[in-house]
Amino acid sequence: MQFIRVNMSEQTVKVEDVPQDYVGLGGRGLTSIMINNEVPSRCDPLGSENKLIFAPGLLSGTSLVNTSRISIGAKSPLTGTIKESNAGGTVAAALGKLGITAIIVDGLAPQGKLFNLIIDQNGNAALQAADDFKGMRTYALVERLLQDHGEKNGVLCIGPAGEYQLASASIQTSDVDGRPCRAAGRGGLGAVMGAKGIKAIVISQQGKSPDAIADPESFKESAKVFAKAVKNHPFSGQMLGALGTAGLVSAVNSIGAFPSYNATKGVFEGWEKISGEALAETIQKRGGQTTHLGCSQCIIRCSNVFVDKGGKYVTASLEYETIWSMGGMPGIDDLDVIARLDFLCDDIGIDTMNTGVAIGVAMDAGYKEFGDGPAAIEMMEEIAKGTEIGKVIGNGPAAVGKHFNHHRVPVVKGQSIAAYDPRGMQGNGVTYATSPMGADHTAGNLVGAYLGGVLNPLEAEGQVKASREAQIAMASLDCTGLCMLAGVALKAPNGSEALLKMINAKLGTQLNAGDIPALGIRVLKAELEFNRNAGFTNKDDRLAKFFYEEPLPPHNKVFVVTDEDLDSIFDFE
Amino acid sequence: MKIRVKLFGTLPQRYPGYDPSQGLEVEIPDGAKVKDLLARLEIFASDGGLVAVDNLVVQHDDALKEGVSVRIFQHMFGG
Repeated sequence: MQFIRVNMSEQTVKVEDVPQDYVGLGGRGLTSIMINNEVPSRCDPLGSENKLIFAPGLLSGTSLVNTSRISIGAKSPLTGTIKESNAGGTVAAALGKLGITAIIVDGLAPQGKLFNLIIDQNGNAALQAADDFKGMRTYALVERLLQDHGEKNGVLCIGPAGEYQLASASIQTSDVDGRPCRAAGRGGLGAVMGAKGIKAIVISQQGKSPDAIADPESFKESAKVFAKAVKNHPFSGQMLGALGTAGLVSAVNSIGAFPSYNATKGVFEGWEKISGEALAETIQKRGGQTTHLGCSQCIIRCSNVFVDKGGKYVTASLEYETIWSMGGMPGIDDLDVIARLDFLCDDIGIDTMNTGVAIGVAMDAGYKEFGDGPAAIEMMEEIAKGTEIGKVIGNGPAAVGKHFNHHRVPVVKGQSIAAYDPRGMQGNGVTYATSPMGADHTAGNLVGAYLGGVLNPLEAEGQVKASREAQIAMASLDCTGLCMLAGVALKAPNGSEALLKMINAKLGTQLNAGDIPALGIRVLKAELEFNRNAGFTNKDDRLAKFFYEEPLPPHNKVFVVTDEDLDSIFDFE
Repeated sequence: MKIRVKLFGTLPQRYPGYDPSQGLEVEIPDGAKVKDLLARLEIFASDGGLVAVDNLVVQHDDALKEGVSVRIFQHMFGG
């Protein structure tokens, strides 16, 4: 249980035992509570006072399946709020096996200087000058870092977008194959890493000093129960392995909630060409991989490897949100173009969602035609070159709307919505509006309730309650390092009990079932407090105005949840 | 009555030669319900099957009408 504290102004690295106040926290719980405690809420997100925190989950580095999710936290340059951006890959498991609870970076390197942080198999950490790596795209960067330091390392890194400190810049992480194709995409945290002057963090995967587990036998037993529940659920055990999250393209289009042509339609005419079924068929015919191990210890295998007509690697993994943001929003119905755009986002180091939506807004404003794939690819290259229009696109949809004086900008607190239109899925609109992170589907996604027919997606009734419960559950889950897709195991009769037993077995605690949602509420309270102190009020918890005014076909509904109901969502006491 | 059904997820794999562009034409009794259609296609609760008609998810006890276009999915929870 150690913190690695890195000060970039002095280029110092200190290792310390986790202070008592933070013991028992992991993932989003740790990043958010620490930021609320230690970062001045009104600081410049790209200034020296902000802290960039990398925290594996409480269960990362243990034997439990699907626990290699890392939480990366900071004050966001995109939203101005507190932010936790969550990514898969290999680094969370690697940090867990080293017994590292968090890496905390503050200060700023001298302007123009870049460093890599190298953490070896004994947990020793050191900064190395990285001026030679300046401007490198992430695929070439990671290839070289793995040559220099060995293949058995995980990497966190930024591309040119992070170095330019663009508001949509991501932090990319390497997958099991050593490709930087997983992303902490949301909130522009790559810009914070760029401002700090860190190009990459290289973490040994050969650590042998994980935190001691208080009751190893109980942990092992419950981990087996949980893994079985993941395997036995039709969604995580069958669907995701066959189609990945792209299976949602058909489902969400079929209930009219797939935001298309910059959120002017809820069904995309070309959806059958870009559906999960079409994707799997294309990959299979070309000899790619329809299912693939992307993250450490994953048994779901929702990942895929998309190849071109000649069988050559294009990208991994092409998933639902990107197919939407680079397909539906700019009106592109060509999987080859979408796959290329996905690769470019990873390589340049920028959020696929914020960037696809930015391209969609630019097209809606008349900059290019909807459906123009080559124009979208060209816009990506402009971002990489750092041109004026590239910086506008790379700063996200709000910057694009301002640049073109265009009103239809689907964001909350500056961050784009995800692949569920709030007029076709009202509760997802509640989550976008009220999440402390800006529009973020992973904060509380209700698509399962709508597809399961247990909640009417088009009426106001029940949406706030459902969003509140989902946001609390996700805030808890994000502390554990578990993948949200494995979270369906919690719906199994013994799934929740197994998770509770594992947390108690690891920490040596006697938590009861009520303590899990209580942890989620504690995390949300810290996030809301930070935002209030940063100057945010209820009036910021609103969708972009056009969602209230422009009906979305085919249901021709607007967003109907009242402001009063939105404002009641976090009345916890 | 005849109903045009399109299948998604892993469901098409059960019907060798299934054509995604055409789907299946299924004959069911007049007034049949969603659950009758699912039973006819041998899609069970364990498959997580859900049915959408006219851009809305319908319940198992809802009646089907001649000529409607039906899509059958498997339950998903977000990505």
